[in-house]
Amino acid sequence: MTDSHTRRSLLRYGAYGAAAAALTGTAASWDRLTAADVPGRDDGSLVVATLGPAYGPAAVRSLTEGFAEEYPDIKLRINAVQAVDWSDFFAKILTQIAAGLAPDLVYVATEGVQLFARQLGVPLDHWVRRDAGELREYFADVHPALVESMMYEGSLYQLPVEFNAADMYLNRQVLRRAGADRPPADWTRDDFTALLRRMKKSSDSHFTPYFWTNRLWGGVVPWLFANGTNLLAESKAPGGDWLWDAFYPARQRSGRGGGFRWTTPQATGARFEETYEYLASLIEEGLCTRPEGGNGQNLVGVFSTGRVGVTPAGGFWAGGLHQAGMPADGYDTQYFPRWRTRRHQFGAAGYALLRTSKRQEEAWEFIKYAARKDTLTRLFTTNQTTPARRSMLTADRYRETGPDHWRVFYDTLDRFPDTGPVPAPPQVAEVEQVLLKHTGTALSSPRAVRPALRRLQGDLEKAMERDV
Amino acid sequence: MTNIRIPPVSSRPVPRPPKAVVRPSARERGTRLLAALFLAPTIVGIVVFTVVPIVGSVVLSLFHWNVIDDPSFAGAANYGEVFGDSTVLVSFRNTLLFMVLAVALQLLIALVLAIAVNGRMPVWLRSVFRSAFFFPLVLSAASISVVMKYLFNQDFGLVNWLLGLTGIAPVPWLTSENGAMAAVILVYVWQQFGFSFLLFVGGLNNIPKEVHEAAALDGATGPRKHLHVTLPLLSPTLLVASVVGIINALQVFEQPYVLTNGGPGDSTRTVVMVIYETAFEQLRFGTASAVGVLLFVLIMAVTALQFRLSRRFVHYQ
Repeated sequence: MTDSHTRRSLLRYGAYGAAAAALTGTAASWDRLTAADVPGRDDGSLVVATLGPAYGPAAVRSLTEGFAEEYPDIKLRINAVQAVDWSDFFAKILTQIAAGLAPDLVYVATEGVQLFARQLGVPLDHWVRRDAGELREYFADVHPALVESMMYEGSLYQLPVEFNAADMYLNRQVLRRAGADRPPADWTRDDFTALLRRMKKSSDSHFTPYFWTNRLWGGVVPWLFANGTNLLAESKAPGGDWLWDAFYPARQRSGRGGGFRWTTPQATGARFEETYEYLASLIEEGLCTRPEGGNGQNLVGVFSTGRVGVTPAGGFWAGGLHQAGMPADGYDTQYFPRWRTRRHQFGAAGYALLRTSKRQEEAWEFIKYAARKDTLTRLFTTNQTTPARRSMLTADRYRETGPDHWRVFYDTLDRFPDTGPVPAPPQVAEVEQVLLKHTGTALSSPRAVRPALRRLQGDLEKAMERDV
Repeated sequence: MTNIRIPPVSSRPVPRPPKAVVRPSARERGTRLLAALFLAPTIVGIVVFTVVPIVGSVVLSLFHWNVIDDPSFAGAANYGEVFGDSTVLVSFRNTLLFMVLAVALQLLIALVLAIAVNGRMPVWLRSVFRSAFFFPLVLSAASISVVMKYLFNQDFGLVNWLLGLTGIAPVPWLTSENGAMAAVILVYVWQQFGFSFLLFVGGLNNIPKEVHEAAALDGATGPRKHLHVTLPLLSPTLLVASVVGIINALQVFEQPYVLTNGGPGDSTRTVVMVIYETAFEQLRFGTASAVGVLLFVLIMAVTALQFRLSRRFVHYQ
């Protein structure tokens, strides 16, 4: 390398460096994005985090435009968080909180009510008392079981706006093929098994009579409820009279408390074991899939093409099947079959106010607005869920999507008043995780049930001992 | 014959001659400065995005922290918890098993295909194969896994339907312990082998033709030629591919998370899944960090072992 060459190189690099410095300087002088520019951060908006898939662009527009008309002074920002399920949604919300982007309100389902109430939530009690006159119409239209599921230790944390009870969807095409009718409302577990056998007999090898999934809602838990047991011993917290006495007549408030308490695991109980043995026997007989085999997303397709006979789902599925092209008369619904009890399982959702919010009064106005009938009517146009307001369940609403017996959705609460929420203590994430894990193992064969449930019990005990 | 006397070897070390202190010239200093300037962004990136998080994880592993409340010092409690947790231990076992099977399969497939593509083949066809094998790597692992979940469904999936055409009974791909691990490995290998494939193609091109010609003259043909000539000369590339493959495999997350969610039971739960679940679902960031630190130590140990062993097996021309 000659001296001149090296000098030339240095001069060239120097020129590059000067150009880079000039570019950097120019870029630094431009207006640019910083952390402060993250949408919703410190721009004075009331930020509402919702589960993205449930709140499409049209729903978001409906909420924001409607709210802006009523409350022009409150700037609203809907943060539709994309997540596959509630557990994933809560994880993402907590990540946002850790990043200093805590929303003011979070759409929370039963699965997260106690977690948010205990860690982050603000009780709505004093606002509910203050605006009792305004809310009387709301509570009169909403079943007390839904409201009770949103209470924690005597305080109300959310106004439920939607819910879904685990009822049974029946494929009419499959029923016809099996020469069976829609089962009666008081059908039993044995009637259910007999129907599955009939369906299997009348179909080819690519057909699955009963399709179910491994999750907290709609998985093994409705069967536990039907058999008169639960994942965790259930009791009611004291308190809540302030609400029941103010809004519900004596008949409806009887037996209501300050929210559910789920405490001691009871996975080694006789009824618990019996439930798993029954489900394992269904799998062994080829009457249903293993629960990990599928989820609601792939179910719509196979159900609508007649490859599945029966599945548990809530009112949300009416919209899903309609979107998949299934005609309203292609399917029907019935209550979950009776075993020892008729108790059904449900999950509800509403907006939780976070204690980190600096706009709590504005947030309360949004909560009231979001629970109004006209708001919910605009929001739930496609029957993607069951509205918490009884008066919204009309023949007109289900004319296009079906099913014929749409009354089942809300009547589940009215006919079986002990119908209750999915067991969801503050430790719900770990509880759900160990339930799913050991359910998979337990159902590998009837012999595997007992050892798997013993491990489930041990892991549940550990999870429940852990403070969140 | 002359009598040469050999002086006794002194036990005292021979003092080294003092190093001549050579001051770098102005030009050299300029070049070094320039090099430092060019390296600075990378070094800053490594410090900010690698060193700081690693140190942060180590510190966090000594605290209880749930994001919402202030952290509290826990000492080694999180590590005690990790070693007493059967799920964590099973996840390490699963991850190691996954690593061994997935990396071996990935390297084998990549090597065989690279040799095949590197053989006599029209250039355009070679390009087609290169693109086709590399293509899965540029796709999102999560979206691939969502599609694969449908394909591997026991009752309605395409894979079992195809097997059914040949008379094979439906395989419980995602719902049996062995089937689930096999499905996860297959999906992972299908997506990842393209990287090793490209490395091997590059490595094969670097082997001089004369070596193969000489081996042919000595009578080496077919598999013997590849075993005794190609593989030793490809060993540096093989080392790089295996190091990268093992590090990636030890951090596998998306495929088992989407395909099986770690099940059935814990049979496909991996260490990174446990870290995610412990931190973001159970809000135990300290414990999750402890698991992360242990994974880091494991990766470092395995990589160090690889380099140590490579001295015996890797041949540089």
